[in-house]
Amino acid sequence: MKTNKILLFTAITFGTIFTSCKKDDPEPDPTTPTASTTYDNGVFVTNEGPFGSGTGTLSFISRSGAVAYNDIFEAKNTFPLGNIVQSMSIHNTKGYIVVNNSGKVEIVDGSTMASEGTITGFTYPRYFLGIDNSKAFVTEWGTGGLAGSVKVVDLVTKTITATITTGKGAENMVKVGNKVFVACGGGFDNDSVVTVIDALTNVVDTTIFVGANPSYIQVDANNNVWVLCKGKQNATWTALEQTGKLVRLNGTSYSTELSLSFASTSSQPTNLVVNAAKTTLYYNYSGKLYAHAITATSLNATATINRSFYALGIDPVNDQFYGSDAVDFSSNGKVIRYTSAGVTIDSITVGVIPGNFYFK
Amino acid sequence: MLNVAAQTDSIRQLNVVEIKATRSLYFSSASKFQLIDSATLERYSNNNLADLLAHESMVFIKSYGLGSLASSSFRGAGSSHTAVLWNGFNLQSSMHGMIDLSLIPANFLNTVQLQFGSASALWGSGAVGGAIHLNNSNTFNKGISVYSNTSFGSFFDKQQQLSFELSKKRIVSTLKVFNHDAKNDFEFTNRAQYGKPIQRQRNAELKQYGLLQENYIQINQFQLLNTRYWYQYSDRQMPPSMTQNVNVSIQKDESSRFTTEWQLNKNKYSVNVRAAYFDEKLYYEDSLSALFSKSHSQSAIVELETKFSITKYDMLNIGVNNTNNSAYTESYNKRYNQNRSSVFASYRLHTLNLKWNAILNVRQEFLNSQVLPFTSSFGVDGNVFKYFYLKLNVAQHYRIPTFNDLYWVPGGNPNLLPESGLSEDATIAYKQVLKKVKVELEAAAFNREIKNWVIWQPDVSGIWSPQNIQEVWSRGLEYKLNVNYRTSKWEVLVSGLYNYVLSTNQKSVSANDATLHKQLIYVPIQNSQGNFLIQYKGTSISYNHIYVGYRYTSSDNKNYIKPYSVGNVRLSHDVVLTGAKIKVYAQFNNVFNEKYEIIEYRAMPLLNYQLGLAIYFNEKNK
Repeated sequence: MKTNKILLFTAITFGTIFTSCKKDDPEPDPTTPTASTTYDNGVFVTNEGPFGSGTGTLSFISRSGAVAYNDIFEAKNTFPLGNIVQSMSIHNTKGYIVVNNSGKVEIVDGSTMASEGTITGFTYPRYFLGIDNSKAFVTEWGTGGLAGSVKVVDLVTKTITATITTGKGAENMVKVGNKVFVACGGGFDNDSVVTVIDALTNVVDTTIFVGANPSYIQVDANNNVWVLCKGKQNATWTALEQTGKLVRLNGTSYSTELSLSFASTSSQPTNLVVNAAKTTLYYNYSGKLYAHAITATSLNATATINRSFYALGIDPVNDQFYGSDAVDFSSNGKVIRYTSAGVTIDSITVGVIPGNFYFK
Repeated sequence: MLNVAAQTDSIRQLNVVEIKATRSLYFSSASKFQLIDSATLERYSNNNLADLLAHESMVFIKSYGLGSLASSSFRGAGSSHTAVLWNGFNLQSSMHGMIDLSLIPANFLNTVQLQFGSASALWGSGAVGGAIHLNNSNTFNKGISVYSNTSFGSFFDKQQQLSFELSKKRIVSTLKVFNHDAKNDFEFTNRAQYGKPIQRQRNAELKQYGLLQENYIQINQFQLLNTRYWYQYSDRQMPPSMTQNVNVSIQKDESSRFTTEWQLNKNKYSVNVRAAYFDEKLYYEDSLSALFSKSHSQSAIVELETKFSITKYDMLNIGVNNTNNSAYTESYNKRYNQNRSSVFASYRLHTLNLKWNAILNVRQEFLNSQVLPFTSSFGVDGNVFKYFYLKLNVAQHYRIPTFNDLYWVPGGNPNLLPESGLSEDATIAYKQVLKKVKVELEAAAFNREIKNWVIWQPDVSGIWSPQNIQEVWSRGLEYKLNVNYRTSKWEVLVSGLYNYVLSTNQKSVSANDATLHKQLIYVPIQNSQGNFLIQYKGTSISYNHIYVGYRYTSSDNKNYIKPYSVGNVRLSHDVVLTGAKIKVYAQFNNVFNEKYEIIEYRAMPLLNYQLGLAIYFNEKNK
């Protein structure tokens, strides 16, 4: 009798356990494309991915579409991009995706995303700049993010062939004629230079002092080079001991033609972009987006958009703004599109920590 | 020995039990407990606490890999929401609020008790999801004992343990030492690389050693004194994740922990005075990132408590605690000090047969000159319809911000508030002993909120900084089944555990926040476990099965990692000689070769084994 009772109770308990084993399968993400999707006429968004051991992803937003294709690299190639996806460029129809913490550049077909190999051997690589059919430059922060160099890459053999030492934390690059201007943002330390490299000889031409921690760089319609310096934190990180600066360098003589200091000792300017005509620059500062005409000699006091972005881009086809929001840095981020006048168009969900745009 | 059954022992036995018990037993009887007894611990003698809990409890162990950092999540809470108490002293780091459970060797412990639900009124800051009680105890007059345990395993795993014990009528002195080396260079399929190649884990070597020295002195009929000293050194390489191509970092942990306790046990009252001094050093080196980080923290704890009855229906405990924490790392701009004082009291009303108890616990803590939230808990437990046991508990909880949260440069936020909230839980158990069969069924439900949860996010100027921004609601159901059949020669044990836990973010930080009402990352909604053991005389075979459900890896629950099932088999054979016992054992982990990850892209080994030989020798006192 008692044994029966126990058996009954056992049966009831197991029954309860199994019926409560609710199916908790997550739903598949409808924005993941099929392997045959091609990517033309739109913008690639590199998503850094969650910190720690996770992977970054690549998203694509077409100019006409209102939703993004997410995780397009893994959808095509069945393996993830790697830890902290930094940036992407397309050079001679091939896509080069720089993966920071994995120390590599993934090569893909610029339209299908099919993997075409990997260039390894970098230490915290940041940006890719194609020089000619067989050569490219990749900036990197080096050991500890305390060095800085440009790695010369042979695009045929997919190997690193030379190292050009620059200022600390080599970051964005622009090319004017045969000269490559490298903004040296300091990496995990501080620096204040732009290193100029002769792209034909791979030799440093000169080093230009601009202001504390220059991370962003653009070329204008007059072939002058604009540099945005973030400023320098004091030892306790409570205020800026050097504020941000916007600097114009002559593209041929390298002389500093204009240097404008930002007033704030707490806000650092970020994200320098230029419109299609290369006549107006835009940047984030103090939680807003400001314009700066290349002819202006003082900083603008009126904002174009009352919002700051984690990453910023301008579509060279139609001058629309693409601003990213990393939300809580642990969930999928958003890209908000604006007209060239700063009117919101839409908001599109992309991957975790959208950090850079490449317009195709 | 300290065990849960002691809760219902009569008051007359109190003095005897008291020698080993902290106040948890008397004033947490309304909390759900799980006891991991010395027999189970013996089966895990060559494992660490993280392995033990992953196999024998429903506490979710978030492990970065074989021998790597492992933290705990109780009932959907975070890793700093578990109080880990070593003989009553909290081991949670003042710097980051956690303790690496993979650094606690199972053979240094005599029993482990898991207390489910908030218990801050009893244990102070950090006892939010639950508490892990690590206990050492001893028996007088056992004679001289020597124990040695050696094991060899996969991936060049080598362990040696040696214990000496001198147990006289009024003094016990023990010394335990261990040494553990492993290369941990297991093979795994790297799903994060082109072609999914099979790779060998790199940079995963570990070297650890430690000693535990304990003394117990019965000064007279009423007084007992004990001292414990635990030293441990660990040198580990940190393996890369699958998405990193290389990792060259290492971590060294060195800790010295000294405790002493004096107990006075009279018929009408008892007094306990205990003190501890902990010194913890951590060195982290990543030559690739040129990061060489040293941190050093100390804690000095003094606690005084007294327990007495006012009538024969009650028991009162009153105590004070002072804890001084001090810590330094290069990322703080100076050494910081923190002085914490608490006053606490517990009152238990009970029926004469102790079948019903009602307990009130209260605590007021002061942090430097700041008054922290008053914390209390109230619970009732009792025995109904002969075989049923009921527990109901309502508890407030809190956790003070860590030194890193407050002082890290850049970003540290000295204005953080403590996290706090309320938890409620109910447990119903059915226990029946039928001749040779013992049946135990248990179901528990809980509900808990944590307000002002500290989250690190970039501030307006892009600097990562902690804020009291999250609000988390956790609730769940827990089931347990235990059937034990025992004769003089045979023992059969079948047990099963199942948990269903929802732990969701309840606060919207931005407009259209996609993380609202979503499960916290790395908190499995479902997990379950089964154990089967069959023993004939000294020979046993046991099987352990773990299932862990989906874990989300992004806070909007768009990204996740797959569930996994892992099976483990253990064989053991004892040879008993006069005054000595020899045990030969073999442990096979992941017998079905499951490819799994506990943390995304962190490789775990396929089938692996350990073979061991333990020798126990005892000579009784003459």
